[in-house]
Amino acid sequence: MSSPDEYTDLKGKVFSLARLDPDEQDLVCGLISRAKSHPDWNEYSNFWMAAVWEFYAAMGLTRRETQQKLPYKIGQDLCSRIGIAAGYVRPSDYRDELEQLIRTRFSNRREFCEATGLAEDMLSHVLARRKHLAVDTLAEALARVGYALHIVPIS
Amino acid sequence: MSQELLLECSFFIPLRRDVNLSDGMPHLSDAWAWLDDELFANFGGRTIAPDEYDGFYRDPDTQERVFDKSRKFLVAIAPTQRAELRSLLAATCVIFGQKCIYLSIAGEVEFVTYELP
Repeated sequence: MSSPDEYTDLKGKVFSLARLDPDEQDLVCGLISRAKSHPDWNEYSNFWMAAVWEFYAAMGLTRRETQQKLPYKIGQDLCSRIGIAAGYVRPSDYRDELEQLIRTRFSNRREFCEATGLAEDMLSHVLARRKHLAVDTLAEALARVGYALHIVPIS
Repeated sequence: MSQELLLECSFFIPLRRDVNLSDGMPHLSDAWAWLDDELFANFGGRTIAPDEYDGFYRDPDTQERVFDKSRKFLVAIAPTQRAELRSLLAATCVIFGQKCIYLSIAGEVEFVTYELP
């Protein structure tokens, strides 16, 4: 959640709040302030969506347009943080990203393993959360398919 | 101007992926965000009932009693959107690692599953 001028989401993506107009900044401040009061996850889920929807509906925006707005993304991210803190939501880690990469870019695990040089048995253990890959092994495997590891801010 | 009559729908999303079908772990934030996005874009929003809902059911594959905790979602839909909601919940079965999802439309209950074509 960083400095008042920016917002860092759970995936480490940093958004500038400076480009928001004053009313939108107030909306984001309200979302953050409410999140800091340690609300119940379900309660906050209802709060943020209604607050953002009412704000942009009054300006005549469609729901699809509203979803593209930064306050919508921030409300959703704050809600995820509350769910994670309460133990209801699992934060993603590199294994989830690996699974997504395999699902979206490869036909199956075997194809991914052939392309990266990883052993299928090892990958199976890693995705089942029984083992970890060494950082250099993972970096080399990802480089073979055009991907890389990055360190990102988390707050 | 008369407003179109809407149907009250509710459905339960377990807090964890199915332990037999999947790994029994809590869902990722991306999964909840996806569901929110779909409900907001297609049905104008949703309300989540307070608290968790404890329940149990007989697993159709193992015949064992399975206990779970769920979130209850409330959505108002037009009568013409029934199929759209069922389709969304079928996709939800996949994304949330569930064999089926309990859906009530105006008091009529059904279990939505994802079936491979």
